[in-house]
Amino acid sequence: MSGSSFASGPSAGGASPGWRTRDIVITAIIGVAFGVVFWAWNVVYGAAEPIFAAAPWARDALYGVWLIPAVLAPVIVRKPGAALFAELVAAGVSAYLGSQWGVDALLSGVLQGLGAEVVFAATRYRSWSFPTIAGAAVLSAVAAWGHDWFLYYSDVSTDIQVLRGIAMAVSAVFFVAGGSVLLARSLGQAGVLDGFPGGPVPQGTRAG
Amino acid sequence: MIVQLVVPDSQLDSRLGRVSPVIKLGIAFAWLAGLALTTDARPPVFLALIGVVAAVTLGAVPVSRFARGAAPLAIAAGGIAVFSAVFSTHNADPAAVVAVALGPLRITTPALLTAVGLFARIVAIGTTAVTFSQTTDSTRLVDSLVRHAGVSPRFGYGALAAYQSIPRLADDLGALRASRRIRGMRWTWHPRLLLGLLVRAIRQGDALALAMDARAFGLGERTWYRDLRWQGRDLVAAIAGLALLVAALMLAC
Repeated sequence: MSGSSFASGPSAGGASPGWRTRDIVITAIIGVAFGVVFWAWNVVYGAAEPIFAAAPWARDALYGVWLIPAVLAPVIVRKPGAALFAELVAAGVSAYLGSQWGVDALLSGVLQGLGAEVVFAATRYRSWSFPTIAGAAVLSAVAAWGHDWFLYYSDVSTDIQVLRGIAMAVSAVFFVAGGSVLLARSLGQAGVLDGFPGGPVPQGTRAG
Repeated sequence: MIVQLVVPDSQLDSRLGRVSPVIKLGIAFAWLAGLALTTDARPPVFLALIGVVAAVTLGAVPVSRFARGAAPLAIAAGGIAVFSAVFSTHNADPAAVVAVALGPLRITTPALLTAVGLFARIVAIGTTAVTFSQTTDSTRLVDSLVRHAGVSPRFGYGALAAYQSIPRLADDLGALRASRRIRGMRWTWHPRLLLGLLVRAIRQGDALALAMDARAFGLGERTWYRDLRWQGRDLVAAIAGLALLVAALMLAC
């Protein structure tokens, strides 16, 4: 039998060894919270169009926000599949709340989640250094870039595609990698990540 | 404010509402894949119309409700279409017919046609999603994913439990904004809200996980509230969905 869900080690339970109920719910709830953020960000991205009229490809510097759960959730729970699960839940929630991308939000979510997942899997979920995290963020952006090229920008010339890719990669490092590390650190300081490998806070400094 | 989508029973119990969500999702993905094959505007226009008609008749979705769900599509589709038209590879082709010339900007007819096709593609993909979400509720979707598509119940129902906390997260967001206001801060929308929201979300998730573990979630045999079986209408819907896709793609030839 499984012990308390707050036990620090992995506990038994169901078909996914290593995933405690708490890991599942927290990964999902990070996805849900970002699903709501995505939903708002879809509006921002649409409204930002006139602002970027002179260089529309630069609008994709905003892209990173859509990739954050694929990196933030694995950084916190450090379980295989966390990137894919969190990004898929976030995409599903944003699509269900009403996204201009429709069912394609789900497809994008799967690809973006897999992009990050591949990098974490390559380190066998052992390396959580900034270069690994940045690599996961960038590969997630690469997956999104390829998907969008195929589905939305198939007629657009290659030089503009490259500019879009650079804007997205910069956005990934800044928003996704930087943002995830800062958020995970702040959440750890707020004391809500106790018992998670991604939120080690030295004993006695926890705010309760 | 953020309002969780509540689909009325009239829509859920409509003919389209009773089709297995997995089938509806499968059709939506099949249409997405099919539409990616062509930049012709006719197939997506056809499928978008089918989507609207199916939602309004078979799905009992009021037209005004559908329109509200589909409104954001126009902005996104317009943005991508303009982008595609302006930066199209066709514009560099000196032999192509110029449709629009504004100073240095030169948009050729093939570039414009592709842009129109993309616009229709995005509208069709989005319309399909509105039809889906207006005839499906989250619980039935997860039930169907677990029972019909082999999704792990722990992950499926874990995500559903997290999803149910959206109204509470919306309340939390209101409280966080009110606390900024009371401290005399002028901008109540601030990126820092995200951290507060995540703290509240994780606390909420912890309570949820504890409650679920207390009920032995994911341990032992699961019992089901609703009996879910494949129905004849699921087969009919699947065949109709694929036939309509084939018909749509034949319009492009």
